[in-house]
Amino acid sequence: MKTSKQNVWTVCVAAIVMIMFASQGQLFGQTAAVKSGETSGSETQWCVKVERVDSANFDLASSFQVAIYENLLEELNKTRQFKQVFRDGDLKATETSNLLVLKTTVVKYTPGSETRRAVTTISGATKLKVRSELLTPDGKVVFERAVNGDVRFFGSNLRATHNLARNIAKALKKSSWSAPEQPSSLDAGQL
Amino acid sequence: MNRVFFLWTRSNRHFNGNAVLGLCALLFCSSFGLLAQSNATSLNANASFSVRVTHLLGFEDTKSNCNGTLSIQGDALQFQQAGRPGAQVNIASIRDVSVGAEGKQIGGLPMKLGKTAAPYGAGRVVSLFAHKDYDTLTVEYVDSDGGIHGAIFQLNKGQGEPLRNELVARGVSPSPFEGSATKQSVAEAAHENK
Repeated sequence: MKTSKQNVWTVCVAAIVMIMFASQGQLFGQTAAVKSGETSGSETQWCVKVERVDSANFDLASSFQVAIYENLLEELNKTRQFKQVFRDGDLKATETSNLLVLKTTVVKYTPGSETRRAVTTISGATKLKVRSELLTPDGKVVFERAVNGDVRFFGSNLRATHNLARNIAKALKKSSWSAPEQPSSLDAGQL
Repeated sequence: MNRVFFLWTRSNRHFNGNAVLGLCALLFCSSFGLLAQSNATSLNANASFSVRVTHLLGFEDTKSNCNGTLSIQGDALQFQQAGRPGAQVNIASIRDVSVGAEGKQIGGLPMKLGKTAAPYGAGRVVSLFAHKDYDTLTVEYVDSDGGIHGAIFQLNKGQGEPLRNELVARGVSPSPFEGSATKQSVAEAAHENK
C-alpha cells in the first residue's frame, strides 16, 4: 500500500516537473520568436542618410550644428532601427536602394548659460527646437515632427544637442510612419 | 719723438687688438643669428603646432570628453592621448574650421554636490565665481567616402584663434558664418561674466 502511494506521488511530481519544463520551453520559444520578429522584420531593411543641420536664419554656432549632427548619427545607430546610417555626402548612400533622408531644420533657439542656471535655477536654460523630416529619395515626406532639446538645470550648453538627438531618435522609433513603396523583398513598411 | 712714436704704436697695437676682438664678436653674433634664423625656418617647414585640448566629440577613433594634445604634424591634424596612438585627419580634407567661446562651471560632479548641500544658498554664490571661459574649435572634414564628419575641441581661452589661423594658413577655409556665431558666443560668455 505504502509503495503504491509512493509511486503515485513520484508520478505526480514527475508530471508537474514535466509540465513546468514544457511550459518554460514554450515561453522561451515565444520570446525567441518575438525577438527574431523584432530584428528580422522590415525595420532593419531601411537605411537613412542624416543631412547636416539647417540653422535657417538663426545664429546657431557651428559647434551646435556639428554636435546635433554627430549626436544624431550616434543615437540613430544606437536604436538599430535602420540597417545603416549614412553621413551627409557619403557616396555609398547613393548606391543604396532603400534610402531615407533625415532633414533637421532649426525652428527655435534660445542660447542659455550654465552659470545662470547654476545661480538662479529658473533662468539660463538652453532651448532648441527643430523640425525633423524623413524623406524618400523622391522627396515624399513620410515623417515630420517638431522636437525639443533643452538643458534646464545641470549640464553644459552642448548637452542640449545630445538631448535633442536622443528625442529625435525616440520620436522616430515610437512613431508608426507609413513607409514609401517598397522593393519586392520587403513585406511591411512600418517602423 | 721716439717717445711719441712708441706711444702711438703702443696705442695703435692696443686699438688693433680691440678692433679684432670686436670683429670676432660681431662675426660670432651674426653667425648665431643666422643659425637661429635657419633653425626657425626649418621649424616652420616641419610645422609643429601643438596645444592641450579636450576632445568633446566627433573626431576619428577617439572617445568623447578625453584630454590630449592637438597638433599639426606636416599635412595632418593629429589628436593624441597620453600613451595611445594618435588619430589624425589630413588637413586637405578639412573643409571648415571655426572658433567659438563658451563658459562652464568648474569642479564637476563633486563641486555640484557640494554646492547643492551648502546651506543658505551658499552654493549659488560659489557658482557665481566658479566658472571658466574656454574656446571651442569646430572642425568639419570629409572622409574617404565623402561623408562629412564634425569634431569639437575645447581649448583654453585664447588658444583657439592661433590654431584656427594656423589651419587657415595651410589652406583650410574658415567658416563663412563664423563671424556672427563667434560674436554671439562671445556675447554669451560676456553675459556669464556679469
